[in-house]
Amino acid sequence: MTDLLKTPLFDAHVALGGKIVPFAGYELPVQYKDGALKEYTAVRDGEAGIFDITHMGQVRVEGKDALAFLQYVTTNDVSKLVDGQVQYSALLSEQGTFIDDITTYKINDEAYYLCINAANRHKDVAHLQKEAAKFDVSVTDESDETTLLALQGAKAQAALQTIAGFDLETVGYYKFARGKIASAGGIISRTGYTGEDGFEIYIPNSIAVEVWDVLLAQGAVPIGLAARDMLRTEMGYALYGHEISDAVTPVEAKLMWITKLDKGDFIGKFIGQEAVETRKAEGAQKRLIALKLIGRGIPREHYKVFVDGELSGEVTSGMHSPLAGGGVALAYVKPEHVTDGNLTVEIRGKQIEAERTTTPFVRSNVRK
Amino acid sequence: MSVPTDLRYTKEHEWVRIEGDTATFGISDHAQEALGDIVFVELPEVGRSIDAGEAYGVVESVKAVSDVYAPVAGEVIEINETLESEADLVNSDPYGAGWIIKVKISDNNADTDLMNPSEYESFLDE
Repeated sequence: MTDLLKTPLFDAHVALGGKIVPFAGYELPVQYKDGALKEYTAVRDGEAGIFDITHMGQVRVEGKDALAFLQYVTTNDVSKLVDGQVQYSALLSEQGTFIDDITTYKINDEAYYLCINAANRHKDVAHLQKEAAKFDVSVTDESDETTLLALQGAKAQAALQTIAGFDLETVGYYKFARGKIASAGGIISRTGYTGEDGFEIYIPNSIAVEVWDVLLAQGAVPIGLAARDMLRTEMGYALYGHEISDAVTPVEAKLMWITKLDKGDFIGKFIGQEAVETRKAEGAQKRLIALKLIGRGIPREHYKVFVDGELSGEVTSGMHSPLAGGGVALAYVKPEHVTDGNLTVEIRGKQIEAERTTTPFVRSNVRK
Repeated sequence: MSVPTDLRYTKEHEWVRIEGDTATFGISDHAQEALGDIVFVELPEVGRSIDAGEAYGVVESVKAVSDVYAPVAGEVIEINETLESEADLVNSDPYGAGWIIKVKISDNNADTDLMNPSEYESFLDE
């Protein structure tokens, strides 16, 4: 077994009463001393929550062919990006299944930055470097040098502005800026995984503790993995290993909106495109839906979903949503059950009635 | 960690308060602390007979699902319905408002493995 990694903020998490668990190869806090619910509430109720998400990976893509390369390896249309814009996207295998979901940051025509999932980092980098051989482009894994923080919630901008060397008001939704942050430099994007207004902050490890301490002093509440998962599940955001994996394509996962089968000027097809087109034409074997329990209970991952008494699929992410006032879940069901039939979730042997709904499960406050 | 002196405890961190032929069940301060924020409690039906050591309900925190086990055998005579809307009472007041059920103790309760408070404190220290 390989040793677990620590982020530069490990000691800070322990000092704050963080309950440390192994996660994606790192030792990270699942919650701090006041518990996940209070952390969740702080983010939803107008505070600013601070998250150490340094485990996520960063890859720099540079070179004359950067755009052509990214059009080939990612699903979304990278030509639509302007400098300083972020795009949600994915890396697919030739089979059309997910290698990872990512965000693409366009610095300029010949320089991009990808944010990838921790658990997929080595697989992603190997894949990107292999494919890069056919292009005039370099792929550099900068994950080990980079600390990534998220600051989410209504008070995020005011707190972050105290250390940002540029006006955050000018950074729009899914936009980013580079410049001075505290005593060094970095990238700030108006992105996140909570459904609240907020930012993700890429800085060198050398100033991780400095930035963390300043933001805590500004009133930011430290948020662990459990509350982070509650916040993302309430938004219905996909998580690798749950809604998406190497066994599903964008057709099943309701992610055709980031999968552009016609990328305009881009000649040829991105990796996995043919398989996605085939799957789309033939029809998926299962499809992702959002559901809310009518009966009492918490629909948890892997619980079976039935339609008219017939086994149809299973829950991929589920929770008790304080704001929705009950159990909510994302689940895969058979395509014919996406809109029709009486839905139930099996909880400890009992069929609990549920209804189809849409995501987000609760109101999103992102600033579009 | 609070361990009231008027209760008896089990190795699964349940407590029981015995008053005459009635027993009240709940989970200990240690148990609620270990589980974290409790968001759901599944209660048995009144009238159900439960053996000592039998799972009679479920307590769910944000991340975990845990069975709760009966410290003594009995028939359920009352359930704490308040927990259906305020599951967090198990966290905030585990020995008081966070009680889970009351049973009428069966005659066939053999000498069970209940710990007294000092034994439970030693058990927690192990």
